[in-house]
Amino acid sequence: MDASISIRRLTKQFDATTVLKGIDLEIPAGRFLILLGPSGCGKTTLLRTISGITDPSSGEIWLHNKRIDGVAPEKRNFGLVFQTYALFPHMSVEKNVAFGLEMRKVGKAEIVRRVAAALELVGLAHLATRLPKQLSGGQQQRVALARAIVIEPDVLLFDEPLSNLDAKLRDSLREDLRALQQKLGVTSIYVTHDQSEAMALGDEIVVMKDGAIVERGTPIELYRRPKYRFTAEFLGMTNVIAAQIEGETCRLPWGAVCRLENPAETDVEGVAIRPEDLAIVPVEGEHDGVIDQSMFMGAATHYWVKAAGQTLRAIASGGSNAILPAGQKVKLVAPMALHLLKSLGTTP
Amino acid sequence: MNPTKVNTLTLLLCLLPGVGYLLVFFGLPLVTVVFGSFTSRAPGASPITLDTWITLFSSPVYLDGLWFSLWLGIAPTAVSLLVSLPLSALMQANETSQKLFGTLYRIPLVVPGVVAGFLVLVILDRGGMASRLLMPLGIPMPRLVRDDWGVGAIIASSWKTIPFMTLIIAGAMAAISKDILAAARTLGANRLTVLWRIQLPLAQPGITAAVLLSFIGSLGSYVIPSLLGPAYPLPLSVHMFAEGFQKGNWPMVYAMGTLLSVLAIAVLLAYYAIVGSFSRGSAALTARS
Repeated sequence: MDASISIRRLTKQFDATTVLKGIDLEIPAGRFLILLGPSGCGKTTLLRTISGITDPSSGEIWLHNKRIDGVAPEKRNFGLVFQTYALFPHMSVEKNVAFGLEMRKVGKAEIVRRVAAALELVGLAHLATRLPKQLSGGQQQRVALARAIVIEPDVLLFDEPLSNLDAKLRDSLREDLRALQQKLGVTSIYVTHDQSEAMALGDEIVVMKDGAIVERGTPIELYRRPKYRFTAEFLGMTNVIAAQIEGETCRLPWGAVCRLENPAETDVEGVAIRPEDLAIVPVEGEHDGVIDQSMFMGAATHYWVKAAGQTLRAIASGGSNAILPAGQKVKLVAPMALHLLKSLGTTP
Repeated sequence: MNPTKVNTLTLLLCLLPGVGYLLVFFGLPLVTVVFGSFTSRAPGASPITLDTWITLFSSPVYLDGLWFSLWLGIAPTAVSLLVSLPLSALMQANETSQKLFGTLYRIPLVVPGVVAGFLVLVILDRGGMASRLLMPLGIPMPRLVRDDWGVGAIIASSWKTIPFMTLIIAGAMAAISKDILAAARTLGANRLTVLWRIQLPLAQPGITAAVLLSFIGSLGSYVIPSLLGPAYPLPLSVHMFAEGFQKGNWPMVYAMGTLLSVLAIAVLLAYYAIVGSFSRGSAALTARS
């Protein structure tokens, strides 16, 4: 089956609050799509509306050529993985995984076989008879994952599944999730507020804010060439610099002139320079800025540089150089081509 | 505090009036009562005797009373459970239903049992409001008050018990995470299956408490059966009053009291035995598959 999802003019109101303001979204079959945004942006509501747990106020949701927004959640065949795991506490691991198959009236022998296969896939075959409370958080989330995939869902939905786990576990489960999704090839929608998770996992990221979609693109597109300042700042640290635009080029406050990647852009707030793209060179005498603070982070050193009335962030990677002290005069080296950022005031 | 802690605390608080009352005003005097049932009131007779117990178990009037007491304990509990379970589940559905039912079901909590009894009497007795409404339609009013099956008493008892049960069961159900219910839905369970497979098993400790407290309350209830119950049989509670205050036969009062207490305890133990074998059974099933 072609499990593409099509969302048209979807809105959701809770009493007086509008949580979704007319979402239009096409998700091709097999795509791993990330819904990324700050808390309260409506991403979880959108996911729950797709799952059927929440009813939309208006608009349509289509699964391939079938309209599903009026269909009960139990009839949609979507797997949903929760931040809270939401395992059935009174059932063993295998009973949890078997639940969806029992609901589908699958034969007993078939259930045993498929449950075992799903638990094998998430590496928990040895814990099949345990109760959820006897498992760690990471193991519980693997059970939830097995429970969601064992029903062979048309679409897999993830609601911040890694947010309750500690950092190390989050990384390992993230890799497993990605591998599993690629192996199964199932259309997946994944909600998160964590930009590094979004970039690591997604084929594509949809950035949301205040119940609307800001922009959409591959992780590289959105990180390197975001349209909006909001996207740039949400996807990692960025310096937004008020530069003087001169046709195809711009002049930075400290005098450097750079080429523009998108000189035709309107409603511009400034140019973006990622801290890792801003090199600093210690100098004596004539300088662009002065180091205000530094922070040693192991793999890299972060610097805050005061230049032209603004504090800029720069990251020096590698450990060979000594850390520059505060008060050190530096020259700033920006990339050859810079990207203009639009103000979000102009978004729908 | 985590939700399970709050839930346990809520349940304990709900249990406190019942269990605390039982311990202080029931457990302690129980010993005195049991002992009293073996004493004799006849002057000159042996101070320790089984006479009262022999009379109790050989008199058809008393035996019928015993069965009727049991009936008046079980029937309202069953009726209340049938109403309280769906009501509690509906209250979890959304905020509107919670507000609506949440207010409605509390009303009977503040109405004393004797008032509830008179309400039922005024409405359901022959010549009462219901029969006057039905008369123009040519429908005869069935006998619901002072009838052989104690229907009036069961209605009044249930009317009192339902909010009490709902309070405990809805509390237990509200403690179940909404995500768990949503997970069951997305896995293919409809609302009824969710109630049966998820909500009931998880709310089971609360349901147990509610059932036992309701049964024990109805078993010994005096006001409602004496107002609404039939002239025969009389439940033991009503017999106890007559034996004590009209005949002065206190050993018989003690014997009947002992019997009622033993019944309550027996039901409690039987309930735990059944629940225990259920959970052992499902655990065995899990281990086997």
